[in-house]
Amino acid sequence: MTHARPSLRMLGLAATLLAVGTAHGATAWVADSTASRLGFTGTLAGGTFDGRFHRFEPDIVFDPADLAGSRFRVTIETGSADTQDADRDAILKGPEFFAVERWPVAVFAASRFVSLGNGRYEARGRLTLRDVTRDLAVPFGFQASTDGRTATMSGSATVRRLDFGVGQGEWRDTEWVGDEVTIRFDLLLQRK
Amino acid sequence: MQWRNTSHTYGAVARFLHWSIVILIIAQYVMAEAADELPDGLAKLEMVTRHKSFGMLVLVLALARIGWKLANRGLPPPVPMPAPQRIAAAAGHGLLYLLLLAQPISGWMMSSAANYPVTFFGLFQFPALVGANHDLHETLEEVHEALFGALVVIAVVHALAALYHHLWMKDDTLRRMLPFARPRAR
Repeated sequence: MTHARPSLRMLGLAATLLAVGTAHGATAWVADSTASRLGFTGTLAGGTFDGRFHRFEPDIVFDPADLAGSRFRVTIETGSADTQDADRDAILKGPEFFAVERWPVAVFAASRFVSLGNGRYEARGRLTLRDVTRDLAVPFGFQASTDGRTATMSGSATVRRLDFGVGQGEWRDTEWVGDEVTIRFDLLLQRK
Repeated sequence: MQWRNTSHTYGAVARFLHWSIVILIIAQYVMAEAADELPDGLAKLEMVTRHKSFGMLVLVLALARIGWKLANRGLPPPVPMPAPQRIAAAAGHGLLYLLLLAQPISGWMMSSAANYPVTFFGLFQFPALVGANHDLHETLEEVHEALFGALVVIAVVHALAALYHHLWMKDDTLRRMLPFARPRAR
C-alpha cells in the first residue's frame, strides 16, 4: 500500500485543480469602453429614434463551454442616456422617466444561459430599472478570437418601458411615446 | 368643372393646390406659435409632431403644384404687361415656389439634426436628411424662422400685386385663381 499514498496525493491534486478549474472555468472579460456600445431605439410619434448610454459597466464571465459557470452583471448609469437632444434627454433623466436622482443605475444580472446554436446564446436574467425588477431574456452572439484573448458580444432585447414605470403621468400614453424600446449592445471584450 | 388650366383661367387642380397651401401655411404658423408657448411635455410633442406632418404635406402639395404647373405650362398674362413687370412677376413666383420647398425641407433637416423622427401623420417615417448635430440644429432653427419671414414678405407682395390687378387694372389676374370665381365675360 506504500504506492497508494502518491496516487491519492495525485488524485487530491487533480481534484484541487478541477475545483480551481471550475471556479475559474468561465472566462472573465472586461469591455473595451471605447469600442463597446449600449444603445436603444424608442418610438416617438410613429417614428423611431436612437439613443445610447455612455456609461455602463459590463461585468461578464462567459464561456460557451461552461455556461453553468457564466454570469452577467451589467450596471448602467441611467444619467448617461444620450438621445442627441437636450430637451428630450432632460425629460428622459427626469422624475417621470429614469428618475436618475433617485435611481442612478439600472442593472441586468443573469446567471442562466442557454445555447441557441450557431454561436448564439440567451442570457436569462433580471433587469432592474427604477424600482422595478423583471425577468428578461437577452439573446446574443458571442465570437471569441482565435487566440481567445478578445471576443465580441452583441445582441438585443425588447422591453416595455411601462413595465418598469418609465413614463409616469401623461407619459403613460403610448400613442406618442411607444411602449416598446429595443436595447442593443455591441461589446468588444478583453480577457481579464 | 375644368380640371386643367386653360388659356384664360386656372383649373380646379391648380386652384385647390394654391389655396390648400395658403390655408396650411397659416395653420402651420399657428401650430408653431402654440408649440413655442407650451412647456416641454406631451402636449408640445403632439403639437410639434402635427406641425411636422402638415409641413411634409405642404412639401408634397408644393411639389405637386410645381409639377402641375410644368405639365400645364403657365398662363399668358391677362393683360399685356411691360417687360420689367413681367420679369418681376416671374421672379416673385419663382421665389415663392423656392420658399415653399425650402421651408419644409429646412424643418425636416432641423428635426433630423435633433435626432427626431419625421413622419407623415404616423403612417410612415421619412429618412433623416442630416446626422444628429446640436449646432446644426440651432442654425437650422434660425434658418427655418428666417425663411418663414421671407415667405410672409413675398406672399404679401404677391397678394398685393393680385389686388392691384383686380382693383386697379380691373383684369382677371385674381379672379382666375379665386376658388369659385369665373372669369369676367369677354
